[in-house]
Amino acid sequence: MISPVKKNLSLNLRVWRQPSADIPGEFRNYQLSDISPDMSFLEMLDILNEQLVESGEEPVAFDHDCREGICGTCGVVINGQAHGPDNETTTCQLHMRRFADGDTIVIEPWRARAFPVLRDLVVDRSAFDRIVQSGGYVSVRTGQAPDGNAILVPSQDQEEAMDAAACIGCGACVAACKNASAMLFTSAKVSHFANLPQGHPERKKRVLAMISQHDEEGFGACTNTYECEAACPAAISVTHIARLNREYMKAMLTSKE
Amino acid sequence: MTALSSSIGRKFVMGLTGLFLCFFLVIHLAGNLLLYVGPEAYDHYAHTLHEQKGFLLFAEVFLFTAFIIHILLAVRLSRDNFAARKVSYAKTSSKKGGRLAASVIAPEVWMFWSGAIVLGFLICHLGDFKFEWWWGNEFASSGSEYHKASIILRDPRVLVVYCIGSVILGVHVSHGLASAFQSLGVNHPKYTPVIHWCSIAFGWIVAIGFASFPIAWALTESAATH
Repeated sequence: MISPVKKNLSLNLRVWRQPSADIPGEFRNYQLSDISPDMSFLEMLDILNEQLVESGEEPVAFDHDCREGICGTCGVVINGQAHGPDNETTTCQLHMRRFADGDTIVIEPWRARAFPVLRDLVVDRSAFDRIVQSGGYVSVRTGQAPDGNAILVPSQDQEEAMDAAACIGCGACVAACKNASAMLFTSAKVSHFANLPQGHPERKKRVLAMISQHDEEGFGACTNTYECEAACPAAISVTHIARLNREYMKAMLTSKE
Repeated sequence: MTALSSSIGRKFVMGLTGLFLCFFLVIHLAGNLLLYVGPEAYDHYAHTLHEQKGFLLFAEVFLFTAFIIHILLAVRLSRDNFAARKVSYAKTSSKKGGRLAASVIAPEVWMFWSGAIVLGFLICHLGDFKFEWWWGNEFASSGSEYHKASIILRDPRVLVVYCIGSVILGVHVSHGLASAFQSLGVNHPKYTPVIHWCSIAFGWIVAIGFASFPIAWALTESAATH
């Protein structure tokens, strides 16, 4: 989209600053001027950091990597919304043209007991890794790559699995949920494998282990408010949570372990 | 029992008990609507019901158990959910769009509190009709259940409490019914929108249906005095 000629922005930022996990943080105000509306949100933060470095203040720590909405590394809460005001958008894909001259922008890290703040806007999301490690995989034989058509997958199953696999693990679902629940994330992983024949042998073990790990990490339960779905940059649907619920109860009632 | 050890299991049982309680609301409202048919119909229904002692005991124990499980799980889940975010946001804003009316009331956000208000209403209601705590011997003269209901429903305190209680109950079930299906794993592109709208309609029916009785009696009362 070509943005119309728009004058550069002056902004008031309220940014969460926290030197480390065990030191309490606070909001600090910063003024920015001459911000191009064509900048991405992260470029705006880069400008802020240049300004801070020049003035001798510690730059704001924030996570970022690919800056094209694929890696799932970036993510902050902008004016109370995970990844900012746009749907299906990561923080790096958000552009400053979404803001008006003179706006105050409140920038906070993901807030969840399971995602402790490491520094400023950076949180520890290794709880997601541990959920995946507990069962979000398929066991395959090593050796040569298997024949591509050895296991046939119906196209609609593959489509549904792919929709779930689109999850980039950014944690916006947790950030947006009033219960800091990771059900959308966990359901995307469970649904991804439940839709594919390769995932079937470990189906019951997987869902039981992943939910047990989810609860252990201190995430809340789902109260079906669907804020996660609205915040998800990969448009993961809450239908996957319903499938997760089905998978879980089926496994719970029929598992022999 | 092991189902109750996980968040999903708890939500599943929450949904099951919730659906059963919704079913009870339907039966209860259907019975109450006989009040509009007339004293004979209502008394006949009430007496027939009260004669089924065995069934009534079974139903009451079952209902009471469902309520207790629903309430205990609500407390447990809310406690865990509250603990899952220790530091709250300085600012929060929903990214959901569209549902204008529903997003103002947003029943899904305060289910625990609407449930707590409904519990208070339930206690008042049982105190009126079942245990007659706040009533002396007004009902002693006649064995008519219709007569008893008329005396209770005429009371201005009952008008206020029952109207608030019924509306909050409607708000609670308008999210609860659809939510129960999701928790039980029922989500389908064809049926979920239907369940969603039925749930909202059910909320309206419950709110208007149950609130209509004290309002109707208050209107008759004021018409009689004029």
